[in-house]
Amino acid sequence: MNDTGIQITDVGVRFPSPKGTVTAVENVTQHIPGGSFVSIVGPSGCGKSTLLAVIAGLQKPTSGGVRVHGREVTGPDRHIGFVFQEDSTLPWRNVEENVRFAMQMGGTPRAEQQRRAQEAIDLVGLSGFEHSYPSMLSGGMRQRVALARTLALEPNVVLMDEPFAALDQQTRIFLGAEVRQIWSRTHQTVVFVTHDIGEAILLSQQVWVMSYRPGTIIDVIDVDLPEQRDASIVSTHEFNELHNRIWTSLQAESMRGFQQEEMSA
Amino acid sequence: MSASASAPRLRLDPRQPAVSVAGTTLVVLALGLLLELGGRAEWWDVIPPLSAMFQGVAGLVGDAQFWSDAYRTGLEVAVSLVFGSVFGLLAGITFWKLPAVGRAFEPYLVALYAVPLALFYPFMIVLVGINVWSVILLATAMAAIPMALNTAVGLASMRPVYTKLGRSLNLSPRQMLFAVALPAAGPYLVAGLRMALVYSLIGCVAMEFVTAQAGLGYRIRYLYEIFDDTGMYAYILVVLLISVALTVLLGLVERLILRGRISW
Repeated sequence: MNDTGIQITDVGVRFPSPKGTVTAVENVTQHIPGGSFVSIVGPSGCGKSTLLAVIAGLQKPTSGGVRVHGREVTGPDRHIGFVFQEDSTLPWRNVEENVRFAMQMGGTPRAEQQRRAQEAIDLVGLSGFEHSYPSMLSGGMRQRVALARTLALEPNVVLMDEPFAALDQQTRIFLGAEVRQIWSRTHQTVVFVTHDIGEAILLSQQVWVMSYRPGTIIDVIDVDLPEQRDASIVSTHEFNELHNRIWTSLQAESMRGFQQEEMSA
Repeated sequence: MSASASAPRLRLDPRQPAVSVAGTTLVVLALGLLLELGGRAEWWDVIPPLSAMFQGVAGLVGDAQFWSDAYRTGLEVAVSLVFGSVFGLLAGITFWKLPAVGRAFEPYLVALYAVPLALFYPFMIVLVGINVWSVILLATAMAAIPMALNTAVGLASMRPVYTKLGRSLNLSPRQMLFAVALPAAGPYLVAGLRMALVYSLIGCVAMEFVTAQAGLGYRIRYLYEIFDDTGMYAYILVVLLISVALTVLLGLVERLILRGRISW
């Protein structure tokens, strides 16, 4: 048995729907070594967010199971951090209070909350904005607040569900590079869901390609790029080769998904 | 004023505090002047000049009767506001927690909202008698309805991501309610509170008109019946001043509750 990292064993998720049962995820068996960074790409509606919700304990799998650091996932766990796609900052709390929120709810002593909040705020580059309210911040800064809130919990595992999808391209690349940098310091196990192939390659050590419904992992690509990388890597030959390989697997699936959606519409 | 002096044409921006204050002052002064002049010149014979009304108000300061009426009305408004807000809040939370209950009761509340509840005064008198409780009960009911509806709407329109956040952090139902749902519904609760205040004031004064033997509303009717118009207008002015003061006070509470969410 693997004691570190995430072990996904034969996970399947089926939903009842008016048109019969929808199989969102099927037969997913994968292992993520502790401390590594994995991205999942796939066409929209392929169940990548569902798989992430299963790992987080937010969604019960219909079959199979997930073990995180050797422990069976049975429900949400404070050692598993989650960053949402939508803006999840609380508008009635300032930045510092937002970052402390999760720790406060978990009963962390106040002095400890303040210390860890400050560390996390510095880590995501929001120093000086501790007393600003979310309404005064840009979308990218609010996502940093959400990230800091998760990091301050010091989770073993960080799950990110398209956290930058709502941001503009420049902010996205910039924040992606920062997430990568933070990870290279904290070395938490990260699972990052995205539909952006470039983002997946730039950030991770391994990319999984997921098929359209029923969602299975159809390709696993190791990213053999230097550990220290920044946005300039997108112009290299190696990056393009990886991009092409992922795009080839993804293209067929996206088309299939598109056709099925058309047919059912 | 504060409009830029170099501009060839004077542009007044109503969002500027100075312009807004000046505008309001101008309107109030103009209306006051009209009331004063109209009263003095006897353009109408029912409304005394404003200065006479203010003199009447000044005279009330040393009047024990006035203070006892004001105390009675103040007590009724305060009690009905507190009870109404609390009941409304609890009802709203219940509707949110138990959507089936919400679906069953909300239509009646919405319908009752449009009914002048003061109509039920004979029923109230039979139920509790001509006393302070018939006023408080009715005003409480009037205040509770907008509070309940606003709370229910505010909680129901909470962004789904907050529910997900709460789940991912394993929050207890209590933490979810007090640390997430109610603060998220804050703007709706404040709007509900504003309406609850207005409705409890209307409810109290209106009920005093028809059923009570004391209070500012009762006194206004009494002075009207004995043809003491200056006295009556002084009391009306006092009720207006109280409602303005309460609205300002609630505005301050609103700023406190909603700090950070709206740029002032």
